[in-house]
Amino acid sequence: MTKRNWWLTAVVAVVITACAGTTASPSPVPTGAPTNPPATATTGPTTGPTTPPATATTGPTTPPAAAVPTVPTGYAELDAALGAAQPDKGTKVTIQVQWIGGEGDNFEKGVADFEAATGIDVEVQRVGSSHETVLRTRIEGNDSTLNLAMLAQPAAILAYGAEGKLVDVNSFMTGTKLADEHPATVGLYTDAAGHTYGVPYKVDVKSTVWYPIKAFAAAGYQVPTTWDELVALSNKIVSDGNGNPWCIGMEAGTATGWQATDWLEDIMLRTTSLDNYNKWITGDLKFNSPEVLHAMDLAGQIFFTDKFVYGGPEGAIAIHQTDPMDPMFPGTPPGTSADWSGFTPGCWMQKQATWYGPDFFPDVKANPGSQTIYPLGTDIGLFYFPPIDPQYGNPALGAGDALLVVQPPDGSAPSDSTKAVAEFLSLPQGVQRWIEAGSAISANQTTPDSWYAGAYKLSIAAGIVKNATSFGFDASDLMPAVVGAGAEWTQLSQWIASGGTSPTAQQAVEAIDAAWPAP
Amino acid sequence: MTVRTESPKRGISPSTLLLPLGAVLGIVVVVVGLSFLADKHGAQNLLGAIYDLLGNPTAATAARNGVADQVLAKLVLAAVALVSGVGGIWLMYSTVAQLVSLFRPNIRDRIMPWVFVVPALALLLGWLVYPGVVTIIRSFGDDTTQAFTLRNWLDIFKPDTLGILFNNFLWLVVGTGGAVILGLVIAAMFDRVKFEALSKTFVFLPLAISLVGASLIWRFIYTWRPAGQPQYGLLNAVWTAFGNKPIDWIHFDDFHTNTFLLIVIFIWLQTGFAMVVLSAAIKGVSTEVLEAARLDGANERQIFFKVIVPIIKGSILAVITTIAIADLKIFDIVYVMTGGSFNTNVVANQMYLQAFQFLQDGHAAALATVLFLAVLPVMYFNLRNLREQGVGR
Repeated sequence: MTKRNWWLTAVVAVVITACAGTTASPSPVPTGAPTNPPATATTGPTTGPTTPPATATTGPTTPPAAAVPTVPTGYAELDAALGAAQPDKGTKVTIQVQWIGGEGDNFEKGVADFEAATGIDVEVQRVGSSHETVLRTRIEGNDSTLNLAMLAQPAAILAYGAEGKLVDVNSFMTGTKLADEHPATVGLYTDAAGHTYGVPYKVDVKSTVWYPIKAFAAAGYQVPTTWDELVALSNKIVSDGNGNPWCIGMEAGTATGWQATDWLEDIMLRTTSLDNYNKWITGDLKFNSPEVLHAMDLAGQIFFTDKFVYGGPEGAIAIHQTDPMDPMFPGTPPGTSADWSGFTPGCWMQKQATWYGPDFFPDVKANPGSQTIYPLGTDIGLFYFPPIDPQYGNPALGAGDALLVVQPPDGSAPSDSTKAVAEFLSLPQGVQRWIEAGSAISANQTTPDSWYAGAYKLSIAAGIVKNATSFGFDASDLMPAVVGAGAEWTQLSQWIASGGTSPTAQQAVEAIDAAWPAP
Repeated sequence: MTVRTESPKRGISPSTLLLPLGAVLGIVVVVVGLSFLADKHGAQNLLGAIYDLLGNPTAATAARNGVADQVLAKLVLAAVALVSGVGGIWLMYSTVAQLVSLFRPNIRDRIMPWVFVVPALALLLGWLVYPGVVTIIRSFGDDTTQAFTLRNWLDIFKPDTLGILFNNFLWLVVGTGGAVILGLVIAAMFDRVKFEALSKTFVFLPLAISLVGASLIWRFIYTWRPAGQPQYGLLNAVWTAFGNKPIDWIHFDDFHTNTFLLIVIFIWLQTGFAMVVLSAAIKGVSTEVLEAARLDGANERQIFFKVIVPIIKGSILAVITTIAIADLKIFDIVYVMTGGSFNTNVVANQMYLQAFQFLQDGHAAALATVLFLAVLPVMYFNLRNLREQGVGR
C-alpha cells in the first residue's frame, strides 16, 4: 500500500501542499462519530488499549479489570482466541451497528478489551439511522467484507435466515449454553426448524415513564401505581392549573409512529392475556378485535383528553422525539437552570424506554457530550408504567438487539475469529463496559446484579424486570415490517394527529389489517 | 482532443511509439486510482506517506490512525478520484483514438465511432438495461421462493396503492403545471424589465439547491409550535397573525393540503429551470414577426398567446416533459418531509419502503416498473419533440 502511494504522492502533492498551508496540524477528530474507529486504521500494532489480559487475578463477583471472560468460557473458539498463543492475532472481524455517538462509543469500549486480549481487530462500522437499509444492501448484495451485525428486528433476522444469508449460530455455539443464558430472548431468533439466527445482546425495558422528581415533590404529587391513579394524577395536574400532564413527541421522520406502537403494546399487555398478545403478533388476533380497540380506547384517553398532552394531539405528532421533555426543565430557555424551586413544568410525564436519558435533556442537547445538570434519581426519575387490569399482573414490555452472523457468500464457514467475537458478545462481558456507562442491560441473564447497582436507570429497569409477572417483546418489531413498521405507524400517527377522528380507531385497525401480507 | 481527419502519414514516427505507453499509463492510472478508492484507509495512509515525506513522523502516525484532519483525508480522496477518473479516462480515450487513426482512412472511419461509443454503451447495458430487465422479471416473482406470481401486481390495485398513484397524479399535474406556467409568466414579464438579469438570477437560484436541502429549508417554513408560543414557522406566523390556531401543516391532510404544500417546494425549485429555457426561447422570437403583428393591430395579450406561445411551443413542450419526468420520480421531498405518512406517499417513496423497510422486493419491483411505464410516454414525447426541433437529425 505505502509503496503504491509513493508515486501517487507526486500527482496529488500540489493539492496537499495547498491544503497543508491552512490545516496541516493534525488535530483530534472533531465532534461527531468518526466513520472508522481509530484503532483499525493501521495494520501494525494497534494504538488501542494495551492492557494485558489480566483476567485470572479477579474474583468471581467483582467485575474484572479488563472486560473479558475467564477461560474456559464454554465456547471453543473463544477459549482458543483468549489463549496465550493468540491464534487469531492480526485477523480482522467487521461488525455493523446502528449505534453512533455515545452509544457507539460504549459499544466500542466493550470490544476494546477483547481486542487487546486476543489480538483480533474488531472493526466496528457505525451506521446510524440508515443502518437497516445499508445492512440490507450488504447482505442481499453478498458483501463478503461483512462478518457480523446488530439488528433490533427479530422478524428481519428470521427473514434473512430463511433466505440462507445467515449462519445458524447453533452450528458453532453448540450445547445449551446460549439458550440457558438467554431463556427469555433466544426463542425470538429461532425458527420453527430450530435454527437460531440471532445471538441476544442487550435488552431495553419500555414500560417506563420519565418524570421530574423535584417538581413532583414540590407539588405533592405521588408516583401513580395503578392506571386509575395515573388518570387521576393527570386530571389533578390539569385542574391545579399546572400545565399539561403528558410530554409526547412522536415525530421521527420516516419512523414517525413507532412510539404509538409502544403505547398500544404496553396497554395490550395490561388489558389482555399474554396468549392473546402473542396471537396478535402472529396475526391470529386481528387489530380489528375488541382487545386492540379497547387498548386504543385507553390510549386515546391520554392522547385526546383536553389539556392532557402538551400541544394537544397535534403536538404529540409534530414534536420531534428528541424534544418532548424540554418543557419539563426549569430555565429560560428550558435547560439553563438547575433551580427547581417555584418552577412548574410545562408537562410532567413522558412514557419512553430506558435507552432514553440525559442525551435528550435540553442542557446536554445544547452542549453535546457534557454532563447533565439534572442528575438521574434526584432531579429526573423513572417510574413503572402502572398496571391496568389486576388479573394481568405487572407486565413488562421490552425490546432488544441481537447479533447476526453473516453467511460468507462463498458458502464457507465463518472464520474462527468471527465465531470468537460472536461468542464473546453473547457473554455478559460483551456488554460490561456499556453497563458500567450506566445505559445498557445485558440480554444474558447470568449477568451479576451487582453490575447494575450503581446506576439509577438500570436499577429501576432491573427492578421492573424482576417484578414483572409477564414479559412481552415489542410486538411491532415481530410483526411483518409492512405492518409493524408500515401501516401501524402511519395509521396510529394519523389517528393521533387527527384527535381520533380521521381515521377513527375502527378505520385505523381495518386499514392495518388490510396491510397484513397474504399467507 | 483532436481526431485527425486528414490522412495520417504512413510509416512510424517517434510519437507513435509512445502511444501504447500512454494507453498503458492511462489504464494503470485508472486501475490504481480505483483500487485506492476501494481501500477504506487509502486516504489516511497516503496522508501518512506525505507527512513522512515532509519529515513529520508524528503527524504521519496520527494520519494513519485516522485521528488527523478528516477533511484533509477527504480532499486527498477527491483529488485522487479527479486525477484517476478524469485524467485516466482522458489518457485512455486519446491514446486509443490515436492508435485507431493509424489505420487506413476507410477502416479508421468505421472503427472510430465505436471507440467512443462502446464504453458508454457497455455502461448503459450493465447499469441500466440489465437491472431494468431484472427488475421487471423480479416483479413477477415471489419474495422468498422466486416462483412466478401475479400478487405483486394485484397489490397495486389495493386502495392504499391507488391513493399513492393519485398523489403522483397531483404531483404531475400541479407540480408540472405550476412550474411551467410560473416560469412562462416570469420569463415573459421579466423580458423587458430594467434589472432583468438580476431578477432572473433570484428566480433561478433555488435550482442550485438539492431537493433534500430545499425540503429542510421548507420544514422550517411549515413548522409548528403550540398555540400561544412564538411561531417561528413562517406559514404559521402569518396564519396565526390572522387569529387562527396554528396548524401542523405537513401532517394536515384535509383536502390534500400537505401534498400541495410539498408540491410548492418542487415548484419553487423548478420554476427557475422553466424560466431560463423559456426566456431564451422568447428572446429567440424575431422582432420582425412581433412588429408585423403589431402593425396588424394585435394587442400585447394577443401577441403573447397567438404569436409568442405558438412559436416557442417546442421549448414549452421540452420544459413540460423534463419537469414531468422529475415530477413522476419525486422521492426526496416526500421522504424528508413526511416519510410518506399522512397521505403524502408517492410511488418512488413506496418503492423505497417496500424494498428497504418492508423487505418485499417483488412489490418494490412492480412499483418500479409502474414508474418506468409512466415515464415512458413522457420520454417518447420528449424525444419526438427534440427530433421535430432538429436535434438528433
